[in-house]
Amino acid sequence: MVEKQSRWANLYLIIIFIVLYLPIFYLIFYSFNAGEYMQNFSGFSLKHYGELFADNRMLQIVLNTFVVALLSSLLATIIGTFGALGIYGVKNPLMKNVLLSLNNILLVSPDVIIGASFLIFFTLLGLGLGFGSVLMSHIAFSIPIVVLMVLPKLNEMSTTLVDAAQDLGANSWQVLTRVILPYLAPGIYAGFFMAFTYSLDDFAVTFFVTGNGFSTLAVEIYSRARQGVSLEINALSALMFIISLLLVTGYFFINQYNLKRKKQYKKGRNG
Amino acid sequence: MAQTIIEFKNVVKSYEETQVLKGVDLTIEAGKFYTLLGPSGSGKTTILRLIAGFSSATSGDIIFDGQRINDVPANKRRVNTVFQNYALFPNMNVFENVAFGMTLKGVSKGKIKEKVTSMLGMVQLAGYEDRSIDELSGGQQQRVAIARALANDPEILLLDEPLSALDYKLRKDMQYELRELQQRLGITFIFVTHDQEEALAMSDWIFVMNEGKILQNGTPVDIYDEPINHFVANFIGESNIIEGVMREDYLVSFAGKEFENVDAGMRPNERVEVVLRPEDLDLTTPENGKLVVTIDAQSFRGDYYEISAHDDDNNEWRIQATNPSIINTRQGLTFDPEDIHIMRFDESEDDFDARLENYED
Repeated sequence: MVEKQSRWANLYLIIIFIVLYLPIFYLIFYSFNAGEYMQNFSGFSLKHYGELFADNRMLQIVLNTFVVALLSSLLATIIGTFGALGIYGVKNPLMKNVLLSLNNILLVSPDVIIGASFLIFFTLLGLGLGFGSVLMSHIAFSIPIVVLMVLPKLNEMSTTLVDAAQDLGANSWQVLTRVILPYLAPGIYAGFFMAFTYSLDDFAVTFFVTGNGFSTLAVEIYSRARQGVSLEINALSALMFIISLLLVTGYFFINQYNLKRKKQYKKGRNG
Repeated sequence: MAQTIIEFKNVVKSYEETQVLKGVDLTIEAGKFYTLLGPSGSGKTTILRLIAGFSSATSGDIIFDGQRINDVPANKRRVNTVFQNYALFPNMNVFENVAFGMTLKGVSKGKIKEKVTSMLGMVQLAGYEDRSIDELSGGQQQRVAIARALANDPEILLLDEPLSALDYKLRKDMQYELRELQQRLGITFIFVTHDQEEALAMSDWIFVMNEGKILQNGTPVDIYDEPINHFVANFIGESNIIEGVMREDYLVSFAGKEFENVDAGMRPNERVEVVLRPEDLDLTTPENGKLVVTIDAQSFRGDYYEISAHDDDNNEWRIQATNPSIINTRQGLTFDPEDIHIMRFDESEDDFDARLENYED
């Protein structure tokens, strides 16, 4: 009975993964099409990859996207970490809840509304739209993500750790840099990568605040898709999928390696 | 008399409405092993935190080496703490943990290495420098925490229930080790615990606390033999506490009979409480007994039998005997005059000490 159940569960899992991955593989498959459309596979060819690498505008946009993602997630991580420390330090529970709710509202509110409000905000201030406005809005929507990743780690930290550091002679700055931040590191890294991916694939907010001369991948693909997706986009998607795949496998192996090393250490100690 | 190192003068600590310390006075002399003993919530950890500087007194003076230190921050005090959960830094290995205080002070690398090696040797963890914290057992983490605190050469080492997370055997071993360490280093130890056995075994001097007050302080023997009131008698060891009347000096009546004893200095016919320790009571034949009791139950405790019984006045008695007894039989109960300890109701510690002073030679 149990075995039967687990077989059904496996089947269910397999179907779900097929449904999730099939469109991506379909896309990648046609990136190798010798023809111009996602119909009638007429033969294997790398010509769309060639087109992609010859398309300077596209490469510039890829670069833009990564620069914005890297810068915005970096700055958001710094601001968000201190924000989390600030919220953690608030003694009044009501005040704390208000701050947390304000943080969470930004997370759940639709991107369209955030994008529109940024547009209004930047226009009111008379700031030009372009790299600056995109960067600032990406920082803004990434901060709550970082706060959300760092705060649980802070709450989990025993307060006696801070007491212990002070007890051993650390001033506030030393407590922060030598004890608290290293402890929070996993949360900070997680926040950084979350912010990075959010920024990479953000469409709605960017769409509102991007100007004439500046574009990111999501916006560019959208505008090209309106004239029918060229297979160059497929080639780009395939490349990005492979890069993400490599990153995930790399992460998996590093984790595996660390776990194994730790286990061996323990075995050596007990044996 | 040794030099006073810490003094509390009428120290009060309140959190919003609740007072957790209600005007505490205490004096701590350099080089001794002190224990703050009390149930949870008695304020013993609060005293420790006030000495360490993690919280500040609502009123009163805390004096360290003749200077008021109420406003000196924790990182400037020559006091180090061993925490209940050890509070080792998980992002550092054993060496870095022990070296932490010295690194902050800018001690040279060579000196740090030398000191860490000697500290780890002292707590029997030589060669553990490169281990990470989560690879250590609870007992080993405990030792690292002690080494880390002592590496700063504190004047006082504060220990906040450091043994409570260890198993029984390890706890016993650590008691001996801590006691031995304190005597070797000559540093003042202030140890917080709710375990009376631990307090009796390790301390030079015990402060018994309850509800934010120090009820009694003295050597372990004094506190065990002469508890000041019902709470202390019950908290330190097991006791039979019976209401009685002090007829005159050296004569007390309880359980319907009069007994010779060794206490004096009370009003004639004053109502008192009488304490008899279970290990001071012996069972005998009913004819030879000072009291006659009926055995209710007994349980085997390894080195003794714990027997519960009741007398004809329906007072409960607990007796520790080396030989088993028979349930529902009547037995005689004997004890010596010195085994009877008298406690007055609401006697302050000063009056108690003065009275003892008066009639004890």
